[in-house]
Amino acid sequence: MNDLVKSLAPFLSNPKLLPGESESEFQASLEGLLSELENPSPLNIALVTQLNECLWWIKRHTVDKELLLHESMARILSKVDHHIEFYDNQKISSALESFLASNASKNDKKFIDDLLKKAELTVSDLRARGFKDAAKHLKMADELIHRQYQTMRHLQRSIDSVDFKSRLIKRMDLELADLENKTLTINVKPS
Amino acid sequence: MLSRLKTLTNRLNAQKSTGPNTSHGKRISSRNSIKHGLNVKVDFESSDTYTSLKSLLVKQGCSPFEAADIATSLLNYRRVMDAYYESYTQPEEVDEFNWNMHLPGVHRALEEMSKDSEVTASEMLSVLRVFARSQRDERRRGGPVFRRTVDCHKLIRYQRNAISRLSKAIRSE
Repeated sequence: MNDLVKSLAPFLSNPKLLPGESESEFQASLEGLLSELENPSPLNIALVTQLNECLWWIKRHTVDKELLLHESMARILSKVDHHIEFYDNQKISSALESFLASNASKNDKKFIDDLLKKAELTVSDLRARGFKDAAKHLKMADELIHRQYQTMRHLQRSIDSVDFKSRLIKRMDLELADLENKTLTINVKPS
Repeated sequence: MLSRLKTLTNRLNAQKSTGPNTSHGKRISSRNSIKHGLNVKVDFESSDTYTSLKSLLVKQGCSPFEAADIATSLLNYRRVMDAYYESYTQPEEVDEFNWNMHLPGVHRALEEMSKDSEVTASEMLSVLRVFARSQRDERRRGGPVFRRTVDCHKLIRYQRNAISRLSKAIRSE
């Protein structure tokens, strides 16, 4: 199976991973999908590889939805303190990220707590406002996920079609062989 | 249903729509085709990859015509997905300086600078407005995750067309 996957590599650009993503996890997921196929053809393997990529895109966009929300929340917090000389949006984003993941350092926690106090907001209020502000982009992320699902449906139907045709051809081959045998048997019988 | 008069009016108004007018609009639209390059027609058939893929499909039992259609569609789909990846990984960079610029501070600095010069208050205000506008534009585009979501969203229709074409080529086999 691996040889077949490798044989396709020069023809098709392989799905690329993002920095920090596990290559072995990607391969394990691909092998899991390939194991569902009986005697996969190169075309089937190419289609399953695309299907696996769609699954990864769904994962990425799902993570992005949460990131969009965090970014929007950080933006609300950055607007709170107009009086500070210089505020670093990235600093707020990373502090908020660790604050929401409950692994913030003492300084970051104090920084976010102070901003929340100044804004007179709780974390859930902030989340609700962030959701409202990022609604348009969250919808876009949902549409990207939906697109991947639709692509997967197309790929599944294509795989089924290739699989069905190969099974049909195999069955026809068997029937033809059977017919040939029968014809031979008829020929050898004395008239 | 639109009346005849309304249709004619729409057509006449459409004559006035001759693309972007401002230099900013022209700059943006001039980059339309080079952002992802998916509007450019690619001749897959002259590539070695196409020939190899086609012969692999023929060996698998496809007719040469079907194999050609599938190979082209598959290469086209990969091209779209590669552009999708590029859009995702390389969104337009956030101008941190612009984003984080403290406008009251800039105002104060401009006031200091204008003390010894002949710059009028209204001129200073218009400079400040330029800074404010560029900051507003920068922030409106959002951070990196916002930008890559918008960029990828623009490629949805290309992905839809590519997968439909591929699926059609395989199922009509």
